[in-house]
Amino acid sequence: MIELKQISKSFGKNQVLQSIDLTVEKGEVVVILGPSGSGKTTLLRCINYLEKPDNGQIRIGDFKLDFKTAGKKDIHNLRQRSAMVFQHYNLFKHKTALENVMEGLLIVQKLPKDEARRRSTQMLEKVGLAAKLDAYPSELSGGQQQRVGIARALALNPEVILFDEPTSALDPELVGEVLDVIRKIAGEGITMIVVTHEMGFARDVANHVVFMDGGVIVEEGKPSELFGKPKEERTKQFLKRIAPEPSYSI
Amino acid sequence: MGRKFDIHYLLDFLPKLLSYLHITLFIVAASILLGLVVGFIIALPRLYKIPVLQRASQVYVSFFRGTPILIQLFLIYYGLPELLKLVHIDVSRANVLVFVILAYALHSGAFISEAIRAAVNGVDRGQVEAAYAIGMSGYQAFTRIVLPQALAISIPILANLVIGNLKDTSLAFTLGAMEMTGKSQTLASATQHFIETYIALSLIYFVISTILERTFHYLERRLLRHEKQVAEPAVRYGKRRLWKRTLITRLEKGG
Repeated sequence: MIELKQISKSFGKNQVLQSIDLTVEKGEVVVILGPSGSGKTTLLRCINYLEKPDNGQIRIGDFKLDFKTAGKKDIHNLRQRSAMVFQHYNLFKHKTALENVMEGLLIVQKLPKDEARRRSTQMLEKVGLAAKLDAYPSELSGGQQQRVGIARALALNPEVILFDEPTSALDPELVGEVLDVIRKIAGEGITMIVVTHEMGFARDVANHVVFMDGGVIVEEGKPSELFGKPKEERTKQFLKRIAPEPSYSI
Repeated sequence: MGRKFDIHYLLDFLPKLLSYLHITLFIVAASILLGLVVGFIIALPRLYKIPVLQRASQVYVSFFRGTPILIQLFLIYYGLPELLKLVHIDVSRANVLVFVILAYALHSGAFISEAIRAAVNGVDRGQVEAAYAIGMSGYQAFTRIVLPQALAISIPILANLVIGNLKDTSLAFTLGAMEMTGKSQTLASATQHFIETYIALSLIYFVISTILERTFHYLERRLLRHEKQVAEPAVRYGKRRLWKRTLITRLEKGG
C-alpha cells in the first residue's frame, strides 16, 4: 500500500502541489487526470524523489519517509521501491535494449550477470520485444522504445510503477501497442500510478481515478463514478473538453 | 637567405627530424593526459555549481584562453621556479621538458574543461533521471550513463585540441627543448638549408596530424555506434557482423 500525506511543492512563488493526500491500495491501478499545469506529473515525480517536495510524508509498504528530513539513504531506499516509465522513454542511448533492462539489476540490485540477463530477456519477451534484444534505442520505434522502458521498470520488481504520460510522445498508430502492454501488466496485479490523457484507457483499466487541478485533488473515485456522474463542476468541464459530446445532431 | 634548394637535404633531414618525433609525441601525450585531469578538476565546480570554486575555474579558463601560449610557456618556465623558491623548493636543475609539459597541460586543461562542460551538458537530462529512477547513486549515474555519452560527444572537440596541442609543442624550442622543431632549428642553421628543413618538418607534422584525425574519427564512430549513421544506415551493423562471421569461419578453418 502507498500512502501520500500532505505533499506540498512550490517552484518559486508558484505552488504546484497543495497538501496532497492520496492512498493507493496494493494491486490497484490509479489514473491521475487533469489539465496541463495541474501538478499531476510533479506529484508522480515526487513519489520517486525526482522532484523534492517541500513538505509531506510517504509510505510504501513498510517503508516510511518524511520528505523534510530525508537523507541520501532514505532517497535511495525510496527509489528502489518504485520504478518510473517516462514520457520520452529516457532509455540509455548507448546501451542495447537488453543492456537497458539489465543495468539496474546489475548495478543497483547486484544480481549475477546470467541471472540479470535471464530476467531481462524474460521481461523483454513479455513486452513483445524478444527479437530486439540487441537493438539500440535509435534503431527502435517510439512504441518499441517505450515498451523497453516498461520492461526496464518491470524487471526491477518494484512495489509500484509510475507512468508519466507514457503515450504522449508517441505517433497515434503506436499508442495502442504500448497501452496493450500496460493493460497486460495491470492484469498481473502490479500496483501502478498512471498520469495519462487516454480517457478510454483510464475508463477500462483504472480501479481508481484521481482528477487534479491547480495543485489539489478535486475529485477521486471509481472510473464509473468519476466519468459517469462527476460531482465537481471543474471535473465536468474538463471531461467535456477532453471528450466533448457532439453539440449538433445529424 | 641560405643556400640553394636541394632535395637531397630534404630526404636527409626527414630521418634526422623523425628521430626526435618521440619527444614531441611524449610532450603531447603527457600534457593531454595531465590536461584531462586538470580539465576535470576545473570543469567539476562549474558543472556542480560550487559557489567560490566555480568563479575560480572561470578565471582560470579565461586566463589560459586569453593569453598566448608562448607567454604562458615563459611565465611557467621563468615564473614557477621563483614561486617555488619562496617555499624553498629548488627546481633550477629540473629538465626543461617538465616545464614544457606542465605549461601545455595547464593550457589544454583549460580548453578540455570547456569541452567536458559542453559535452556533459549535452547529455539529455532525462538520461540522468532514468538512472536515478532505477536506483543508481549520483556517482553511478555519472560514470555509467553520463560519462560514456559525454565522451562520444566530446571526441571531435578533443581531436581539435590534441592536433592543436601537437602543433603548439613546436613552440617548446623557444625554451631550448630539443624536440622536432628544436632539432630543425639546429639543422637549418648548421647547413643553411632552411626551406628543406621546414618542408621536412611540416611534412612530419602534417602526417602525424592526419593520423590523429583518422584515429579520432574512427573512435568517434565507434563510440557513437548506438546512433543511426546517416550516411550508411543499418547496413553498417550487418556488415560488421558479416565481417566477424567470415573471420570466425576463417579462423575455424585454420586459415
